[in-house]
Amino acid sequence: MAKKISAMDIYKLLPKINCKKCGESSCMAFATKLQERKASLDQCPVLKSPKFEKNRKKLEELLSPPVKEVWFGYEDRKAILGGEEVMYRYELTFFNPTAIGVDISDKLPEEEIRRRAKFVEDFVFERTGEKLKLDFIALRNASDDPERFVRALEIIQENTKVPVALCSLNVESIERALDVVKSKPMVYAVTEQNFPEMMKMLISKKKKDKKDFAVVLSSSNIKTLKGMVKASLEHGIEDLVLDPHTTPENIMDTLDRFVMIRRSAIERGDKLLGYPILGLPINTYFYVLRGNNPIEQFVKELDKAAAMMEASAACAMLNRYADGIVIHGTEIWELMPILTLRQAIYTDPRKPQTVEPGLYPIGNPDENSPVIMTTNFSLTFYTVTGDFEKDGVTCWLLVMDTEGKAVDVAVAGGQYCGENAKKLIEETKIGEKVNHRIIILPGLAAPVRGDIEEKTGWTCVVGTRDSSQVGEFLRKNWNRILEEWRAKQGSGN
Amino acid sequence: MEIDEVFELMKKTNRIKIDSIEITADEIVINIPHISPISIPQTPPIREGIRRIVSPEEPRIEIPEVDWEPPVEKYKGYIREVQFGRPKSEGGRGKVIKIGGQRALYRFEEVQPNPPVVTFDIFDMPMPGLPKPVREYFQDVMEDPVEWAKKCIREFNADMVTIHHISTDPKIKDTSPREAARLMEDLLQAVDVPFVIGGSGDPKKDPLVLEACAQVTEGERCLLASANLDLDYKRVADAAMRYDHNVLSWTIMDPNMARDLNRRLISHGLEGDRIVMDPTTCSLGYGIEFSINAMTRLRLAGLKGDELVNMPMSSGTTNAIGAREAWMAKPEWGDRRYRLPLWEITTGLTMLLCGVDLFMMLHPLSATVIKEFGRLLVSKPGKIEVSSDNYQWIKGLSVGDGNG
Repeated sequence: MAKKISAMDIYKLLPKINCKKCGESSCMAFATKLQERKASLDQCPVLKSPKFEKNRKKLEELLSPPVKEVWFGYEDRKAILGGEEVMYRYELTFFNPTAIGVDISDKLPEEEIRRRAKFVEDFVFERTGEKLKLDFIALRNASDDPERFVRALEIIQENTKVPVALCSLNVESIERALDVVKSKPMVYAVTEQNFPEMMKMLISKKKKDKKDFAVVLSSSNIKTLKGMVKASLEHGIEDLVLDPHTTPENIMDTLDRFVMIRRSAIERGDKLLGYPILGLPINTYFYVLRGNNPIEQFVKELDKAAAMMEASAACAMLNRYADGIVIHGTEIWELMPILTLRQAIYTDPRKPQTVEPGLYPIGNPDENSPVIMTTNFSLTFYTVTGDFEKDGVTCWLLVMDTEGKAVDVAVAGGQYCGENAKKLIEETKIGEKVNHRIIILPGLAAPVRGDIEEKTGWTCVVGTRDSSQVGEFLRKNWNRILEEWRAKQGSGN
Repeated sequence: MEIDEVFELMKKTNRIKIDSIEITADEIVINIPHISPISIPQTPPIREGIRRIVSPEEPRIEIPEVDWEPPVEKYKGYIREVQFGRPKSEGGRGKVIKIGGQRALYRFEEVQPNPPVVTFDIFDMPMPGLPKPVREYFQDVMEDPVEWAKKCIREFNADMVTIHHISTDPKIKDTSPREAARLMEDLLQAVDVPFVIGGSGDPKKDPLVLEACAQVTEGERCLLASANLDLDYKRVADAAMRYDHNVLSWTIMDPNMARDLNRRLISHGLEGDRIVMDPTTCSLGYGIEFSINAMTRLRLAGLKGDELVNMPMSSGTTNAIGAREAWMAKPEWGDRRYRLPLWEITTGLTMLLCGVDLFMMLHPLSATVIKEFGRLLVSKPGKIEVSSDNYQWIKGLSVGDGNG
């Protein structure tokens, strides 16, 4: 395993004067932040002085992640790939979510190119308060005609500001496109077959025309890829991305190569393989579309089957270090699981996924409004409040500290329980805000109803399984529940 | 042929081929006028072995030779192998399934000996609450769990079947353990695959139900689901030991808790090779990242030699269908017929890549995809021929189908 850099290693190279100009209380605190990648060297003004130039260089070297961070696109809309430190997310966190690219063929009619480019630019799927988006356009030179390639690029640039990958094996096409491209593109691809010509052209573009771009090196042989990296670096081409081939017949071969590259970089300290990885689920799409449909028994339409298998390949790759992927399908049901999985994998495990426990008034609740009790798992909270807002639900929402666990998990784990409910009721003084003693529980909390009633003395009503049904549930039942409770109180007294 | 004639001929044809000639002369001057340049078909310059001529100041850029070895690790530990079912030779019904047995984390290090297994969820009573995209496959058999099990095997290639004795829940029908056992007997008669036996989730009733079912399936090496810290796990373990079954050790996404429960089961007398761990599968979008962490840590710890957590793992992948993104009919989220199974597939694939061996699933399409990936996972590297071109996608399909 590559050796872990300690905060002490970093501290030794810092000025050690505790001037606090970086915003931290001491150089040691700053070193710890740097080690966790929660701060950057630029925050230290002292390091910028000539006296510390050597140390700064050393620190830069020390702090550069084993997988290089490579970006392309526009300054204000970048696709960022790589920059990873660890093999498993629980060891630290993964940093740059897999960049998702959608292909556009230069053979499409101009109007269609515009429409698809706009789609990529505008697409948003909102989840738990986060806007999940697509990251780049993979413009592919299907025509093999440089003219059409450049024209398609112009249409995309005129209408959108999305990072572009220029995809062609034709050296002339890439060369012409580099002349007109307005952003820093990613060039796909330098292959074993076109290596001398493509490299020569790229080197000249870089040195003579001062063009900036990221380059994808492509081979199914990792050793060859490594050699290609070496040659590229020797010629000053350093923003590299690796494509170890996506083989739709056996995606496991592809995943193996992803793991071998990443493990070589992170655990074996192989700098020449410390570059982001590009996966091509689109290969699976076309493979199925050509009639290789493994789910024919259930999905006959080839384009639907292709989209399902493409999404499956994409999700497998997200679990195996893909830093960028290119897909073809754009149906919402295909994009949702890919984007959701990406969000999950790249969630920082160091930050608890929680919201502040307590009392949240929803709508404009009064003393007759229902009291509903949920958990402080941020996903649960945002789903519930989102639904309530949409449905016009008015209520007092009690948010229990379940250590960031969802309702079913917290019920099973014992955090969603009578004891915690009692504490929450006391702390929020909800009893002073309403003139009843009824709590509506989520359907999944039914097993702990007895415990909560016993510990709190409040009456518990088991509500719906899903928060989207709460609005209707309350409209149909709340008045009755309230009346019944009051009647019972009346008769009891 | 006179030399002049040769020249005449050359003028006409622009080219001439002469086989075996002999020229005798003191001096020959050949002038070949008016001949337009002949274009010689070029060999593509990049074929291997053929060097293009480049001028010395512009050296050819080549791919240099470098050293690299596949990063294969050595693992001190191994994953236990657990067997379901009993072979005919030992008086069983036939089908035997094994899971686990890994000696490495990744396929390129050492291919795992047993493919991942899918066990189909069925219920002992109709489940009208199942979402339509699932119900449509089982509508005709929901009234009869025996027919339901048969259909899973006949039409959907089920490796195993999980019977959930839901109706034993005191809040539902409070079916007696004896009745659950009778159903178990019928199921054994009807199909030859091994069973996972599940209760209703009622911590008081489940051990009784599992015990009764274990008794009538003695020797069939079923998986009793489950032993957990909320119920009398000793009773479940006792049933497994007495009647020759395996136990599902279920905990909540906490590797330490999984270790603790396994330790308790083992110290109670259950063999470690009779345990399958379920560290809880949270659905995609509802905490799957916690499951990823728990499963990964458990598998790594097992391979490193921790014999209290080196059991194969099981995933309640069906949980994915409980996610609203899967079941909810919502036009702006697209067609549920694809969205629902894909949600389950994504959840299952993620678990597969975290090392899970046994998948409890509901939708037959999702099960098919997981099995397909499982088949590839146990294929020897290079064994499945790859003939597709990695760059074909740039061209797309050449036919005019809108994907050009």
